[in-house]
Amino acid sequence: MEALGTLDGEDARAMAAHLAEGCDECQAELRSFREALTAMAISTAGDGPADRIWQRLENRLAVGGAAPAASTLINDRPSARTPNRAERPGVSRSWRIATVAAAAAAIGFAVLSGNYVSQIATMRQEDSVRIAALSRQARTLASELEDRDRELAALHDQISVSGQLTQAMLAPDSRIIRLGPLPPAPDSTGVVAVTPSGNHAVLQVAGLPPPPPGKEYELWWIGSKSGPLRAAVFAPTAHGDATVASTLPPTGEQLLASAITLEPAGGLDKPSGAMYLKGAP
Amino acid sequence: MQKTSAIPPTDEAVVRAIAGGDQESLRVLNQRYGHALAAVAERMLGDRADAEEVAADVLWQAWRQAGAFDSSRGSVGAWLMMLVRSRSIDRLRARAARTLRDDPAEPVDSPDASLEIHSNQQRRVVQAAIATLEDNERSVLEMAYYSDLTQSAIAERTGLPLGTVKSRIRSAMIKLREGLKSLGD
Repeated sequence: MEALGTLDGEDARAMAAHLAEGCDECQAELRSFREALTAMAISTAGDGPADRIWQRLENRLAVGGAAPAASTLINDRPSARTPNRAERPGVSRSWRIATVAAAAAAIGFAVLSGNYVSQIATMRQEDSVRIAALSRQARTLASELEDRDRELAALHDQISVSGQLTQAMLAPDSRIIRLGPLPPAPDSTGVVAVTPSGNHAVLQVAGLPPPPPGKEYELWWIGSKSGPLRAAVFAPTAHGDATVASTLPPTGEQLLASAITLEPAGGLDKPSGAMYLKGAP
Repeated sequence: MQKTSAIPPTDEAVVRAIAGGDQESLRVLNQRYGHALAAVAERMLGDRADAEEVAADVLWQAWRQAGAFDSSRGSVGAWLMMLVRSRSIDRLRARAARTLRDDPAEPVDSPDASLEIHSNQQRRVVQAAIATLEDNERSVLEMAYYSDLTQSAIAERTGLPLGTVKSRIRSAMIKLREGLKSLGD
């Protein structure tokens, strides 16, 4: 009867207590009866497809059961019988409903929690990738912005110097020195405007080739006594143009000429390189 | 699990593979027992869809708890059948209105096709063992197996004295066990 689970209340409790004492003989008999009943049930069931059952299992595997749970106590017995039988201790209907609801809620929560945890992990991973991409984009934009700022500052300087050039050329005491091309830059031209009253001098050139790496152009004042004096160091634009402020020529000395040479970056105190432009007042 | 093996794995090997997370082994277990589990559940519940759900519940429980299976307590088949009876009884008890069939002792026709897990010889042995039961023994035994009735409830339902119910069930189980002894040899 124990093998069938059909023992009534007192008999069931007595049998359970006896088996719990570890009676090997009864345990063995119980097993043998269970095996016999299993054989009967399987033989009676016959053969047939189980495709629909497998579909249900596949759905569950897809939802979140990819791995078996860790070993736990197997609940291979039915839950307590309903309390409408006089011989069994009563369990209230509300308790059963509450228990079933709680179990269902717990299972549902576990499944949903597993899904949400998985989804959140995926979302966080995707967010990390997006954040990394946005960070790279922000760094690129910041770098481009710095370049634009530098270009804008250069344009401001150029406008300012161009304004000075215009003022110098329009000033009544201004002196204009036109620079003529020499063989290294036959298409280049240049002009220097010197305004003693404004205390500034401005050079404007065009058609100069881009200087090699580590080189810059240097403007010189060539005086009758001091010889060449450093006036300005500059690099033209990609188009070969430049408008730069320079120092004033030496006072109290006759200015013989002005010239532009190619020198090491930063310039030298005395010219050492090839002359590209030259002119006399 | 090696699919190319000429000798099919034992049920215990299948359960061990399931405990290791092998989904293909779960499919094998379903092929071997899914139909039988559903048939037993249908016999108890009287509804095919519910029965398949219960069979899926049992196999799912096997998937989740395969690591706790203890072969010293019985075979895989006995374990699964115990689970399907338990889950079916749970479902019966959960129903607001019990849906036991009018005559749960009425046996179903056994198909001629053999189960995958049993050779034809084994099936003949089982059927021969069942054939040794008297009709009244068989009907009481099946009523006990396929329902959620205690022996007292069976006595009440059949109108038999409780002692008669007990003796018929015990006699049937002993005959069945004796008839199946050759399977274990």
